[in-house]
Amino acid sequence: MLQRFLDPAVLHGISSLDLVAKTVVDGFVAGLHRSPDFGFSLEFAEYRAYSPGDDLRHVDWNLFARTERCYLKRYRGETNSQLTLLLDASNSMKYTSHAVTKMDYARYMAASLMYLSLHNQRDPAGLIVFDDEVRNYIRPSTRQGQLYRLLAGLEQAEPAARTDFGKPMKHFQQFLNRRGIVLVISDFYEQPETIVKAIEPLRFHGSEVVLFHILDPKEIRPELKGPVILVDLETDRKLEVIPDYVKTQYRAKMDHHLEELRDRTQAAGMGYHLLTTDKPLDRALTEYLSLRQSAWPGAGRTVRGGA
Amino acid sequence: MGFLAPWFLAGLLAVGLPVFVHLLRKQTMQPRPVSSLMFFEQGTQSSIRKKRLRYLLLFALRVALVLLLALAFARPFFRHKTVLASDKLLLVAVDDSFSMNAAGATGGGTRLDEAKRGALEVLAGKSAGQKAQVIALGGQMSLLTQPVEDAGQLRAAVEGIQPGDGHATFGELGRGMRAMAETVHTPMELHLFSDMQEPNMPGNFADMVMPGNVALVLHRVGPATAMPNWTVESVQAPGQLVDTKKARVIAVVAGHGTPAATRTVSLVVNGEVKATKKVDVPANGRATVVFEGLDVPYGESRCAVRISDANGGGADGFSNDDASNFAVKRADPERVLFVHQASDSRSPLYFGAALAAAAQASFVLQPITPEQASDIDPSKYAFVVLSDVPSVPSILEHTLERNVEDGGSVLVATGMTESHREHIPVFGGNVADGHFYSRGALESDGFTTMGASDAAHPSMKDANGWQGTKFFYAAAVDPGSARVVAKLADGTPLLIDKQLGEGHVLLFASGFDNLTNDLPLSPAFVAFVDQTARYLSDEERVSGARVVDSFVQLRNPVNQATGAAASKATVDIIGPDGKRPLSLKEAAAAESFQLAHAGFYQIHFANGRDALIAVNPDRRESDLALIPEDVLKLWSGSAGTGEAQSTQEAATDATKSVSSLWWWVMLLLLMAALAESALASRYLGTQREEL
Repeated sequence: MLQRFLDPAVLHGISSLDLVAKTVVDGFVAGLHRSPDFGFSLEFAEYRAYSPGDDLRHVDWNLFARTERCYLKRYRGETNSQLTLLLDASNSMKYTSHAVTKMDYARYMAASLMYLSLHNQRDPAGLIVFDDEVRNYIRPSTRQGQLYRLLAGLEQAEPAARTDFGKPMKHFQQFLNRRGIVLVISDFYEQPETIVKAIEPLRFHGSEVVLFHILDPKEIRPELKGPVILVDLETDRKLEVIPDYVKTQYRAKMDHHLEELRDRTQAAGMGYHLLTTDKPLDRALTEYLSLRQSAWPGAGRTVRGGA
Repeated sequence: MGFLAPWFLAGLLAVGLPVFVHLLRKQTMQPRPVSSLMFFEQGTQSSIRKKRLRYLLLFALRVALVLLLALAFARPFFRHKTVLASDKLLLVAVDDSFSMNAAGATGGGTRLDEAKRGALEVLAGKSAGQKAQVIALGGQMSLLTQPVEDAGQLRAAVEGIQPGDGHATFGELGRGMRAMAETVHTPMELHLFSDMQEPNMPGNFADMVMPGNVALVLHRVGPATAMPNWTVESVQAPGQLVDTKKARVIAVVAGHGTPAATRTVSLVVNGEVKATKKVDVPANGRATVVFEGLDVPYGESRCAVRISDANGGGADGFSNDDASNFAVKRADPERVLFVHQASDSRSPLYFGAALAAAAQASFVLQPITPEQASDIDPSKYAFVVLSDVPSVPSILEHTLERNVEDGGSVLVATGMTESHREHIPVFGGNVADGHFYSRGALESDGFTTMGASDAAHPSMKDANGWQGTKFFYAAAVDPGSARVVAKLADGTPLLIDKQLGEGHVLLFASGFDNLTNDLPLSPAFVAFVDQTARYLSDEERVSGARVVDSFVQLRNPVNQATGAAASKATVDIIGPDGKRPLSLKEAAAAESFQLAHAGFYQIHFANGRDALIAVNPDRRESDLALIPEDVLKLWSGSAGTGEAQSTQEAATDATKSVSSLWWWVMLLLLMAALAESALASRYLGTQREEL
């Protein structure tokens, strides 16, 4: 039943991001089936025969006492994956056609991911809020109170200015000196080539980069009953648009844009996921966990002190 | 096509509403925020395209809705001629008055024949389903048929119209048509066939104006110009005579549109010419002929005064009015029983002298005292006079009462002696008091005079001489339900007529002597006695000549006040044609009879008396002058005057009927509303699908 709390429309009624994140993650976790691929904390995996050179600290002495054989006790990996969330806080994120804006949706998703990362995975998590500049940077950490700092950063991330991927990405490279997972949350109203070119360097440090493309459903399939003047939220530019165009050419252009962005990001070795604000958040969380698992296939099976 | 509430057509302006919505309304564009205009391109609809009518069919339906709604409120109607020829009532009126017996224009027949031929032609021209009605216009308007379609019945009715002797008046026709128009609201077309005689016009033209839904078509029959006509306008002769040598017949010969001519006037008694005289009648004038002596046998005689030309031929082309009938009864003088006190010698003297001087000596007075009158049979007397009789033997009073109820008459003079007692014999009333004017106040002259009198009563026909009469005494009698014929100046009833059964009791509240009044010394007394004697002897009713369509009273009507029933005795009437016009039932109950034809009627009244009554046509019918053509045009509504015009218009309007189109408009409105709803929902559905 907790699945329903993954619905953004329901989450909109919860004011606290902390509670939103907890609700989302708990609801998400409770809905998961136990999987051998996903382990939490220090979980026993297997015994392995001792071979010379192995760290004696991992020998199971109890077993040796009973059997006089020397085995090493192996656990599931607990290698930390640093999570860095890049949140687009430009004006375009204010757009909505229903109760939840793209910014709200991005906040819920970011808070949930942070909660999942810090609380459940004990991974350091950080946040970078940007528009055409880096507006806020919270260094990844697992320290006490990190979650609340991150949530506060999300709270303060009100949309302003316009998006410019080029300038802030240069700064990101300074901050991202350790490999990890980089999640970019934006509506990506830019040319796919520019976007990929700006974000691609983040991978050079070995980080896994995933683009969460947040769009309102009406941005993909807009509805116009008659000629209308549209105002760009970022530039305030006005443009008169007729329904016929929206029904035909706009949809084609948008489809082409999404397709190109997906192709280019995947070609650049980055992940891409299109999320509409009317869909539940579990898809993003699933993607994160899946990504974490797939990014370090050995990590999951790393035995403490024995890898 | 018209509108009952045309001011609602102002609602047509609401057509602008759909025009505005579809055509003129500005496409207001509220700026809508979007995340980015990255994928949008400028697109502007041209103003023409923007103003292009959207959804033409929907627009048309909405305009139709508004139009139909306004029309429905304006209550359109359709004026169409729904009245078919078959719905118009055809009225054919044929004048069958006396003048229609004159020669027609062609000379082959009478004017009535021509009128009937014309009426038949009109009826032959009517359509099969059209209803028609035949009217005869004689002395009165008679509906010969109901409105029927049966041509045979209508034809028979026209052919059955017989020459009449009555006097037609177009005022009667106008009144009849107005009465008919109150019940018949369909258009009527009245064809009148008449000789359009000028005397037929009423005194007031408005009386003959037709109602609005009657179209009058006049058909003049007879010669186009007035025909000269001589006639015996009147005959003055005694109805009853005793001495044939003293009788005198005065005849007036009149010419209408005639030149001066000599005419032969004959006195005919029972078909035998008794005397002939020539008289010069001036042009378009009158001449009087007097015949001295009327040699008639005893009994009823049928007499006439007839004119002819100087050679003894027909006087003119219209011979029906060349004779005037009158009936004369020769008999011995009738006795009048005069009961008086032995001491009163003045009353029989004055009354007897007056009676002898009047009524051409038809009555003989028989004075008698009450004591001698005990075994008298009153029915043998013309009437009985009780003059100042203080007491009447009861057997006589009873006999008199029975005699009065059977048709006899009694004249009672109260006299001064009557004041000593309250009961008045036969009359039945009481003497309340006696007014002695000679003993009155000093300021009075010692007498009173005549006050009001009822000139319609036969006794008071010549009451002019009464004005100077002095009355010194009068008994105050309560008239009750009796008819007060004359009053004194102080309101005391002087002459009271009371009906008892078939007879009358006439009460004179004073006396016939010269002590109570000086009337016996006045010449008016002779006239009073003459008229009263004729009235009481019933000679007034049964003698003389009458005019066609006048009525004769057969029996006294039911007295509502006394409740006395009319006599059950049958009457017998033999008309000029020798037939009895009354059925047995009518003969037993009819109170009066209309003398519809000229000639001699032999009547046996309910009170047992017989009479021969001569009836002559109304002499106004002898004036064959024609109504001017312009007057006829004015009457028929073709003269173009306002009244006639309005009448014509009313008749035209009546031929049209109004059908309301309201229901049709509402039906169309409903259909348009349904179509609009269906179409609008379809467009909306399309929009949803497009989104």
